[in-house]
Amino acid sequence: MIIVENLTKSYGSKKAVDDLSFSVTPGRVTGFLGPNGSGKSTTMRCMLGLDKPDAGTTTFDGRKYAEIDSPLSHVGSLLDAGDAHKGRTARNHLRWIAMTNGISASRVDAVLQMVGMEDTARTKVGKFSLGMRQRLGLAVALLGDPKVVILDEPANGLDPEGIRWTREVMRHLADEGRSVLVSSHQLVELSLVADDLVVIGQGKLISSGPIAQFMTQHAKTWVRVVSPQFAALAELVIAQGGTVERTKDGGDFHAISAITIGDIAAANNIVLHELSPQTGSLEQAFLDATDASVEYRGQTTTNVWEAPKP
Amino acid sequence: MIGVLKSELFKLRTTRATKIVVLSAILLPAIIFTLTSIFAFGNGKAGDSLIAMVGNFTPLTALLLGVVGVLCSTQEYSQGTIRITLVATPNRVKVLLAKMLTMIIVSICSAAVLLVLCLVPSQFILQSRDVTFDVIGQDLRVLFSAIILMSLIAQLGLSLGLIFKSSPGAISALLIWPTILEGMVFGLLSLAFKDSNVIRFAPIQGNGFQLVSPFFNPGQNTWLTSLVYFSGFVSVFIALGSTLFSRRDA
Repeated sequence: MIIVENLTKSYGSKKAVDDLSFSVTPGRVTGFLGPNGSGKSTTMRCMLGLDKPDAGTTTFDGRKYAEIDSPLSHVGSLLDAGDAHKGRTARNHLRWIAMTNGISASRVDAVLQMVGMEDTARTKVGKFSLGMRQRLGLAVALLGDPKVVILDEPANGLDPEGIRWTREVMRHLADEGRSVLVSSHQLVELSLVADDLVVIGQGKLISSGPIAQFMTQHAKTWVRVVSPQFAALAELVIAQGGTVERTKDGGDFHAISAITIGDIAAANNIVLHELSPQTGSLEQAFLDATDASVEYRGQTTTNVWEAPKP
Repeated sequence: MIGVLKSELFKLRTTRATKIVVLSAILLPAIIFTLTSIFAFGNGKAGDSLIAMVGNFTPLTALLLGVVGVLCSTQEYSQGTIRITLVATPNRVKVLLAKMLTMIIVSICSAAVLLVLCLVPSQFILQSRDVTFDVIGQDLRVLFSAIILMSLIAQLGLSLGLIFKSSPGAISALLIWPTILEGMVFGLLSLAFKDSNVIRFAPIQGNGFQLVSPFFNPGQNTWLTSLVYFSGFVSVFIALGSTLFSRRDA
């Protein structure tokens, strides 16, 4: 189990991580979300002792990372797929890491097979695609057969098969009772595998808990209605406090439940072709939750590329 | 600790740049020495002992081993492996000690191979040419001095690498200071103080390289003074590099 308590890290006057606390439970995949520059990578680096936090602690099963003997056997991490000497072969890259923690060469070959790299074990890292480097990074994380796995954007650069494979690996690791913390921008992928979410913005905790709880708190809900008497129904719903948004073949009702709309329609003999409660995507919920803390915001394409008017 | 040391040695063995520089550090002087044995000493007598002549090449080998020291630390930063190194071994003192020991091992092994490559073929060559020579004579000190100089300059390179974190900066400092800057600075100081012997305060040329010299002129520092002075100079960089390495975010 990972427990992060009151973690704070500043670079000069900028607070990258601000009094952050959360936990990662064994047997569950915890997604770590936040906009660019929100402090996800800094948090992970502080957790692993790479950056020194100004305040706060991180414990792995009750011990600080620096206090763990043979840490790779307890905590496996993938922070950046590019962290490998381009002139070394994949096998030699894993071997020098294995030597530091007394891990055998046979385990190196086993993880290379596990990530599907046995045929490229003697190829230099510089010749690998980003996807292959991600696989090698995962091999590093799994080298010590750790109880805790920390992955920063593990699906970056992977093809659809690779993404599905990563998802299955994470699920499998959690099902074996390991704690899995994974940061990702691929929200659809994360929604398929994560059990819990930790969402941060500008270094501060926005939400922490099961993914269903996050969706309840932050995802938009509305009711889609298709009816030949839509205008009459809309008038009645507005009178009950709902709001209406017209669509091509009907409309979306907000701030009112499907049951209430159904009751109104029944009481007024209004025919309904569709009455379905809708929930927004994890992406929309994430964007809504972090909207106030987005630091770097792009312009829309049309604004940027619109030709100047004569 | 043994595992970390093995890992550091393995890292050096598995990168092309370090292998090329180590080979150059050994082969370059060995080739020059062999050519000297073939073509020099036309009068039938080698003036100095062979070991003293090897000592003349030691600064070149030492500086190249210093470059290996630089690469030992800067490659970790340029390739991003420093993060994995520190995740695998969170105790930074252990990592630092392993790197320092690695450079000492590389220096001793390089010195041993260099001596064998220089002394063995040259003896056969000189004997076949009927040149009279001493192998060690009165210059046994040069043998130990060569190992000490190589080890200390390798540590200096390692420390400069930890300070600069980039190969170009650290290698420039390592090579330009003893070969160009030190001469200029101490030349100016000798003019300013009207003391032609100011060079005895020059850390590398006046003391480090002096260690392997078979002769000590009056006015120069003694061998022991040079050793203490040069070790102190290197220690300052080791202390600075170690402090930065321990405190800096990776």
